[in-house]
Amino acid sequence: MVSPKRSSILGLLPRLGGYALLVLGGVLTIAPFYFMFVFATHQRSEIFGFPPPLWFGEHFWSNYQILLQKIPFWRAYWNTFYLAFMITITTLFFCSLAGFGFAMYNFRWREPLFAVVLATLLIPAILNLIPFYLLIYQIGWINTPKALWVPAMAGAVGIFMMRQYIVSAIPRELVDAARIDGCSEFQIYWRIVLPLVRPALGTLGLITFIGAWNKFADVNVIMRTQETKTLPVVLRTLQGATDVEWGAIMAGTALLVAPLLLVFALAARQLMEGLTSGAVKN
Amino acid sequence: MRKSMASNRLQPDVGFNFWMRWSNFQRRYAPYIFISPFFVLFLVFGLYPSLFSLYMSFQSWTPSDGWGRWKFVGLENYTFTFTDPMFWRSFWNTLWLGVFSGVPQHLIAIPLAFVIHMVLSRFKTFVTAVYFLPYITSSVAIALIFNTLFATHNGVINLVIAQLNTWPLLGALLPDQNINWFTSANIKYALAVVVVWQFTGWNTLLYLSAIQAIPKDLYEAAAVDGASRWQQFRYITLPLLRPMMFFAVSLTIIGNMQLFEQPFVLLNGGASTATPGGQTVTMYMYRTAFEWLEMGTAASIAWILFVFIGILTYLNNLAFGRAARGGD
Amino acid sequence: MRRILVLWALLALVGLGLAQKTTLTVAVFPNLDDSLKAQIPLFNKKYPDVEIKLVIQQYADHHNALTTALATGQGLPDVAAIEIGFVGRFAEGQGFEDLNKAPFNAGQFKRLFTPYTVAQATSADGRFIGMPVDIGPGTFFYRTDILQKAGVDPRTMITWPGYIAAGRKIKSTTGSFLIADAADVAWINIFATTPANNSPYFDEKGNVVVDSPRFVRAFELAKNIRAAGLDARIGSWTNEWYDAFKKGTVATQFSGAWLQGHLQNWMAPETKGLWRVQQLPEGMYASWGGSFYGIPTASKNKALAWEFIKFVTTSEEAQIAGFKAIGAFPALLAAQNDPAFNQPVEFLGGQQARLLWRDAARRVKPLKANKYDRVAYEILGTALSQVLDEGKEIQAALAEAKRLIERRMR
Repeated sequence: MVSPKRSSILGLLPRLGGYALLVLGGVLTIAPFYFMFVFATHQRSEIFGFPPPLWFGEHFWSNYQILLQKIPFWRAYWNTFYLAFMITITTLFFCSLAGFGFAMYNFRWREPLFAVVLATLLIPAILNLIPFYLLIYQIGWINTPKALWVPAMAGAVGIFMMRQYIVSAIPRELVDAARIDGCSEFQIYWRIVLPLVRPALGTLGLITFIGAWNKFADVNVIMRTQETKTLPVVLRTLQGATDVEWGAIMAGTALLVAPLLLVFALAARQLMEGLTSGAVKN
Repeated sequence: MRKSMASNRLQPDVGFNFWMRWSNFQRRYAPYIFISPFFVLFLVFGLYPSLFSLYMSFQSWTPSDGWGRWKFVGLENYTFTFTDPMFWRSFWNTLWLGVFSGVPQHLIAIPLAFVIHMVLSRFKTFVTAVYFLPYITSSVAIALIFNTLFATHNGVINLVIAQLNTWPLLGALLPDQNINWFTSANIKYALAVVVVWQFTGWNTLLYLSAIQAIPKDLYEAAAVDGASRWQQFRYITLPLLRPMMFFAVSLTIIGNMQLFEQPFVLLNGGASTATPGGQTVTMYMYRTAFEWLEMGTAASIAWILFVFIGILTYLNNLAFGRAARGGD
Repeated sequence: MRRILVLWALLALVGLGLAQKTTLTVAVFPNLDDSLKAQIPLFNKKYPDVEIKLVIQQYADHHNALTTALATGQGLPDVAAIEIGFVGRFAEGQGFEDLNKAPFNAGQFKRLFTPYTVAQATSADGRFIGMPVDIGPGTFFYRTDILQKAGVDPRTMITWPGYIAAGRKIKSTTGSFLIADAADVAWINIFATTPANNSPYFDEKGNVVVDSPRFVRAFELAKNIRAAGLDARIGSWTNEWYDAFKKGTVATQFSGAWLQGHLQNWMAPETKGLWRVQQLPEGMYASWGGSFYGIPTASKNKALAWEFIKFVTTSEEAQIAGFKAIGAFPALLAAQNDPAFNQPVEFLGGQQARLLWRDAARRVKPLKANKYDRVAYEILGTALSQVLDEGKEIQAALAEAKRLIERRMR
């Protein structure tokens, strides 16, 4: 979309003002990330010295060594990835399946059931932290990764997104034709629908992965040992009462954030467009 | 379940043909099976714990007593919480944070989305993505980063303030000394800055998508009538954004009332001197449950907050909702 | 092919060798881990096949994780460090082994320790849940260079009015603050004035005493210092705190003797030689900090856990190694007679500070731990910050704190 062209100088002024504003806001948004990467390459005494470092230093490697020594860093990294991967893969399957169910079938109580799905979005997640912990305790899943990914396999957001996409992208005739050809309902989903909803799966996969990668509150109460915790939780334990190695914490934080920044850089367009179009339909 | 609607689609009964029967069965129940994982998971991991916590809020129990060994105490947990100064302190903290970290998000995001829409074409996605970055970043990472930026001596934020202090007009408004952000009195401002920084991009994205949906000829017609950019914004964009405002503000209310990770990390897990001034309700609930092991009291705090969030959402509905449902 | 087989066999052997190693999980908070790192090689000389795995979490996290783990019986270590503030909490309930009983029979070791520590780790019903590893005799740190510049004789600071007067002089002549946080003056007074066999906040019968005159006086002192603008308003254990020690923006600090280890090792190593210590004002002696090692009932390796604890707490060698590593003052009396105690402490300008601390440690009255010590500490801390930061009346704040503690004890 191209905004209306103005050629007069008077029209140019607000435009320049707009650019300046955007650049200023962008700098404020980027700055904390920049400092994270810069601090990751400095020792604590430099970070809190005067003036604070504005450019990269040479202590990333030693910060990284401290990290390895203080926490089971790569173990935590793997835990984080494993959790995010399991949640993403199961979410993609169950949410697209349910989205297909809601989008392509007429069945009793479809509308009220879909309303229930949407209503669960309004339940504040953290309020369930304690009863959720008690339930996990009751069924003996404390300190096991499945306690974190099994409950997250089929979220309402994903079902909503997939339903919206399937309604708009898949003609019913296609489904009916497959049925006449003798496909079972699941085969229709697996062979016809799934390949066609790939773009939406991409967007849903991204936001699910990002959310799961950043999980904190529930991991923090369910996982009880350093070996089972994810990176955000383990990094926070470094923020100790004594001798906080801020350089090492920033190095760990940078390594935590970097993969997401990378994925986001590659997929930003799709994600942005996927999210905006979804919101419009809402 | 009565079999009415689907049964007329049944083919004549072929009896012993198992595959035929299976085929009919799967055709009829497929949608229910497809949507069932969500409902099973929700019943087990969502609804059951919620109801259980409601039950628990009338009991006294600490996990070390052993499972099932709780004691009915009636409304004691609720009366305790309602007469608990620490709860009220955290409640007011939460409310303050809700307003001062919520309102600026929208006051920045709406004009920002408008400017992005008006000024940019090729770089629109890129710029929006930049503003969106904080939203995809772990709250823990963000809080840790800001922990260093807010350092009293030589912290980047204090140094910038000191620099601005030398400017003629601004200087009068700003304090001369380094601000210690991690005191009970100041921590709220630091938290508000963090939350605004983290979520403004998200709201910008929401508003941008709504602005893009506004038909362009509305603006063109207004421009022909001689309306300025400001007038276009004021009389076209803003009114048409109301449904999205309702949606975005609802999300902000729900999110801000349960702020946890940012204060948890900035307050060092509740072990800092700034704790009284920055402790949110959810943090207080967490500490009640996992530091003092008073599960019943913690459950009552959760339910009080839940009801309160419900009330706020309802009030928001009154304020924006009519427009959102298609008034204007 | 044969070579590969040999390689496999070798690998398998190595694997077996590794498998035979027993792993003992030890959960600690910093900087006990640094002390353990000096002690573990010594332990491994006696027990080469034991691998010690450290689980290190920050102070509050460590104890909260332990609390939750005990409640659910999940994720417990074989050996857990317990700081004095939490001993009372863990002494209640059955989470930790009673070391009085067989096979531990810790009774025989009790006379080896600084007497007050044994009472701290003993529950109301007589169970002994942790062996003392280090103690924290309260002490008075001051920067000799700043005092000299201000023309203040440290001996004039041994009364509280003298301390405050000296603070004014320091502030006006050097610009340095008297102390980082006025609250620490309140705490040292509260700890030091605790009657024998009481907890700092509870009397022998378990009644809350935080509104008694000794608390009022402690709060008043802190408030006077804040009102006179003599403290830097910097909270403990923050980057600002470390920075203040480094830059010499504060002239004194009250703490446990262990703070010297922190200052020397990482907080402000560059201030070596500038610090001195003396006893607390007005003949006070206080216990500020101290750690214990206990065995969670759920530990799967209790025999070995006990061997480890015995080694770390009752062998002079290990206690001295820990002492040298972090300055954690040994709880073991025999270790306190080590020649190392006569050595001058270079960080403190060659002062024979350890003798002074040993003297203080022997004068500290035996304390009793209470289940609600930590809760009381937190509530009182909030009350203190309300008095200092928000100008609340002392009497009102203490009355409120008392009410809040009593409520939590329901």
